[in-house]
Amino acid sequence: MAAIADKFSRLSALKPARPVAARPTALRAPDEEDSLARLLGAGVAKNHFGEHLSVRNWFSTPEYLEASSASLDLLSRSRDESLSRRTRAALTDPEKWLFLDTETTGLSGGTGTYAFLVGLAWWDAGGLQVEQFFMRDFSEEHSLLHELCGRLAERPVLVTFNGKSFDWPLLESRFTMTRSIAVPKLAAHLDLLHPARALWKLRLGSVRLVELERHVLDVPRLGWRRDDDVSSALIPQFYFDYLRGGPMEPLAGVVRHNQMDLRGLAALFGKINTLLSEPGAAAETQSLDLFGLSRFLQRRGETDRAHLACSQALEIGLPAEFRPKARRELALMAKRRGEHERAAEIWQEIVADPQDGIYACEQLAIHFERHARNLSRAAEFAHLGLAKLRCQRSASRDPFLAARSTWLEQKFLHRIARLQHQMPISDGLARPLALSRSTGETEAESRYRHR
Amino acid sequence: MPESLAVRRAGISTAVTPVHEALDAFASRDHTGEVLTAVRHFPAREAQWAEFPAWVHPNLVSAYAAKGIRRPYTHQAAAAEAVHAGKNVVIVTPTASGKTLCYNLPILNAILENSDTRALYLFPTKALAQDQLAELYDLNQRLENCFGVFTYDGDTPADARKAIREKGHVVLTNPDMLHTGILPHHTRWTRLFENLRYIVIDELHTYRGVFGSHLCNVLRRLRRIARFYGRDPQFICCSATIANPGELARRLLESDVEVLDANGAPAAEKTFVFYNPPVVNRALGIRRSYINESSRVAQEFLNRDLQTMVFANSRLHTEVLLTYLQQANPQPPGKPESIRGYRGGYLPNERREIERGLRDGKIRGVVSTSALELGIDVGSLDTVVMAGYAGTIAATWQRAGRAGRRGGSSCAVLVASSAPLDQFIVRHPDYFFGNTPEHAFIQPDNLEILINHLKCAAFELPIAPGERFGDADLPDLCARLAEAGFLHLAGENYHWTQEAYPADTISLRSVTSDNFVIIDITGAPNVIGEIDFPSALVFLHEKAIYLHGGQQHHVEHLDFKERKAYVKHVDVDYYTDAVRHTQVRALEIAEQARVSESHREVPAARAHGDVLVRSQVVGFKKIKFFTNENIGDGKLELPENEMHTTSYWITLERPLLQSLPFSVSERQSGMFGLLHALESVATFLLMCDRRDLGTAIGERPPDASVGQTFQSVPSLDPLSSRDFTPSRMEDVISANTKEFFEPNLYLFDAYPGGIGFSEPLFRTHHLLVQKTRELISSCGCEQGCPSCVGPAGDLAPRAKEAALAILDHLCA
Repeated sequence: MAAIADKFSRLSALKPARPVAARPTALRAPDEEDSLARLLGAGVAKNHFGEHLSVRNWFSTPEYLEASSASLDLLSRSRDESLSRRTRAALTDPEKWLFLDTETTGLSGGTGTYAFLVGLAWWDAGGLQVEQFFMRDFSEEHSLLHELCGRLAERPVLVTFNGKSFDWPLLESRFTMTRSIAVPKLAAHLDLLHPARALWKLRLGSVRLVELERHVLDVPRLGWRRDDDVSSALIPQFYFDYLRGGPMEPLAGVVRHNQMDLRGLAALFGKINTLLSEPGAAAETQSLDLFGLSRFLQRRGETDRAHLACSQALEIGLPAEFRPKARRELALMAKRRGEHERAAEIWQEIVADPQDGIYACEQLAIHFERHARNLSRAAEFAHLGLAKLRCQRSASRDPFLAARSTWLEQKFLHRIARLQHQMPISDGLARPLALSRSTGETEAESRYRHR
Repeated sequence: MPESLAVRRAGISTAVTPVHEALDAFASRDHTGEVLTAVRHFPAREAQWAEFPAWVHPNLVSAYAAKGIRRPYTHQAAAAEAVHAGKNVVIVTPTASGKTLCYNLPILNAILENSDTRALYLFPTKALAQDQLAELYDLNQRLENCFGVFTYDGDTPADARKAIREKGHVVLTNPDMLHTGILPHHTRWTRLFENLRYIVIDELHTYRGVFGSHLCNVLRRLRRIARFYGRDPQFICCSATIANPGELARRLLESDVEVLDANGAPAAEKTFVFYNPPVVNRALGIRRSYINESSRVAQEFLNRDLQTMVFANSRLHTEVLLTYLQQANPQPPGKPESIRGYRGGYLPNERREIERGLRDGKIRGVVSTSALELGIDVGSLDTVVMAGYAGTIAATWQRAGRAGRRGGSSCAVLVASSAPLDQFIVRHPDYFFGNTPEHAFIQPDNLEILINHLKCAAFELPIAPGERFGDADLPDLCARLAEAGFLHLAGENYHWTQEAYPADTISLRSVTSDNFVIIDITGAPNVIGEIDFPSALVFLHEKAIYLHGGQQHHVEHLDFKERKAYVKHVDVDYYTDAVRHTQVRALEIAEQARVSESHREVPAARAHGDVLVRSQVVGFKKIKFFTNENIGDGKLELPENEMHTTSYWITLERPLLQSLPFSVSERQSGMFGLLHALESVATFLLMCDRRDLGTAIGERPPDASVGQTFQSVPSLDPLSSRDFTPSRMEDVISANTKEFFEPNLYLFDAYPGGIGFSEPLFRTHHLLVQKTRELISSCGCEQGCPSCVGPAGDLAPRAKEAALAILDHLCA
């Protein structure tokens, strides 16, 4: 028998990943479940699947902010989907909105990850009603999901932060795992992560909800402080410890954390709606946010507004590092709108830019070839682009850049060959291609070299 | 003894083909008759045709007809009928016999009849799945793309995955992806699992040892999830020829399986030749380099414009052979290179281009690793040259199967290296050409492996009371996992309670996930690889020279706590060889017997059971390249590595040793030589790698020698030297001043928990000793060489004689 005991003690598959809570589950006193409810300020919710805890709180902040249908339309639109009338009706009805945020036993997803705390919120009486479902053990999951199903039937427009790729697929998976509760149908799912990223990533670097609260939302108005907030990284372990008879106090912190996330989400929803609803709000918006807004609008196909926001951003003044990028986008937008002369003007401004110069040359060559029909100017810019490209390649050792350069070089050479073919012989720039290939020295180049 | 002339004279083919000319060229140089050890001629075989079964959908019949297949072969029709009848089957056929039709026909038919039907195909490699995709894609086009067929592996783009989960009727994947990418996310695959009717496992014989033991557990999880969605899928397996395909399939699937091993496919006329490079130093048993010889053989064929495929066993040798052959066959100006290399690491497009070039004949020669051994379609070539034995008979036939152009004459040549297995094979052609003795074994109930998969299973679905998972005592294991913090009992079910995702850390190719990361600190720190724990101690100890990608690295520091090894580029003219002490203690004997049941008086016994293996790297030797001189050594203080595993062993009793007319050191050298040879033959019988088995000599426990019964030795002082006998000969000699100790010759599974080799070795003991005797007695060396009892320099003189004398007793 000693050998058998030995056998198990040696198995690395049984080695605990971290020290396990010393207190075994069986030692939990029978009335402790009640004290957990008291600690969380929760009641016991019951249905035919069983029971779980439910926590309800009303908060006066954030306040309800109206959302224009234009803004909702932008947030719900995913490329080519046009909205059905029923969806639109649900979307514009604030009664149908449901904010959702979950606390889970892991971040990796998959069928073994559980949402042990599901937080919901909706606008009510000018403030925010928050309801949280908590499962005291895995056996309470069915009743929790059943309850969630009911709430989603009442309010089928889901609003989340990163819920499209995390919370909702996870919940879908949980519903599927029950084999008895169907996955609820949503009328729409507005996820704020991508809009937030488009709008503020440039300025903030990180668009975690906490960062947004601090830098974008008006913190004092939100009415809470994150000073004693629990770190999200610790949340799964708090729950596992509790399951194994460990302390339940940290769970109160988790519930509070979830409440703050829900309130932050609701506030962020208001903020984004305001930004998207008022095209004229430029004066009080930071230039970088305007640039972000322009990129978001562009992605959603709102070219006019995107163009406006981008020019406004440039007018107010962008930090130097973003200026060429903004100009480049402005030029591309102008091109797409058919304003070729305007686009060419902007391209000429950035020809000297080390990053976008080559691209500007290419665009100008295209412009002069196709739109302005000035072949010699087109060839001039093609040669200039080629020279810049060769210069850049000789300075860099990056193999990927080299491969890309070779490809671009081919494109330029093709263009030059085509232009020369089209140009009358008398044109001063027309001469054997082999020369430019071998020496890389052209008129245009020498003209622009010292600029 | 120019046998090849005999082939020509045999008159089976009237014309003297270029293949025969080339063979004659070898024969005319083989003056001693020792080079061409076997020339076997296989006449062409006619196809045996059947009709498509009546239940096959007419559209499918016409789709096949459009591909040029008007009738199936008899074995294809029989297999399709068995699948149609709902049986689990394993189809055993040689290369290029059309095995894919055996499963595609009934499965596609089922999809045509009911478009909800889903099938999952498992291939051991991504490349094979790609190749099958092309075949199915072609069929699908002829069926107006009425079904969805996709590969799903690490290369599948994220945005395509959703469509595959919904629309894939046939999903082609590999066990690793099933393990980490599909099963843990089964809720996204509901369409597939709710309609899962067929699972195809191709190249079944590759699932043996560690990989097979893992796959069996992955299949347990797969069936468990299928049950959750109300399905009980049917299995269709394909295997190369091994001795026990049915047994392997039954063990893997844990259900009844019908074996179908007829073959109705036609075959081209073929000659199979064993080529043993000439001996250059008879005393030391040194032969000419088999790489150079392989290149010469291939060149004979290429000179006669025969399309040739050369197989090498390592990437390095592939490159060397490619260089030789490209130099000998310079690229004609303005034409593409006619000799190409093919191996993992080439880009998919390049591979496709080479495959095309081989099919249309533009490429005349290709040098490949095992990448082309499995079913990738490159058409048939004229000749195949194998530089070194592929490791198993099954793989060798698969490689040889690449030659066989219909209507022509083809040839496969195996060029032997001086490795013991190669030498054994070429000197005993009857083993190769007769019924294969190769068995594939798995041990899915290895606790280390099983528990890891139990964790994955719990992640996938909570473990309910009354569930079964192999032979494990599930309630007990779950309780242990709960105690360790992995699971939690809620209600009646055990749920997963870790943030980590268990499948991510479990590799199907090794037993435990305890790995060392190798970091190159020559410049900016750069991770260049990883290596499992026991190997790390041997290859990555401080001051070791570690070879990675053909580059030498000096190990600067081995960080045990962080599991990291720091290495730096160096260029030196030596390599290092770790000196390892291995001690084995028998813990529990599962079975024991006399070595000979008919001659019970032979003073030797055999057994198998659980053992404790302790090994420690105590030092290293620096060995100069080319001359193999020992140019220095060092001592090391590394922790001892303990492993609980299973072992087979032979006990040589006192009377046997007393009867041997040799000195103590000769006897002991003989035992080590015998063990070396036993290990070689065991790897051959078990289709495993030398790394998979460990060897040691230890003294039989003293209490057992008295009572004639073996017992487990539970509580002796673990450091007692009577209990542990070091395996290094010099230590045996010094530690055992007694003239006759009773040694156990251990062959143990080199994986914690054992991987299923010990019991088969015990059962096949007679074959093992018999073949070992043949290996040693037929070796031409004088006093031992690496091909039989080990290099002469390491052993006392007469070791070979002593080993044979012991074997004479064992084979009595």
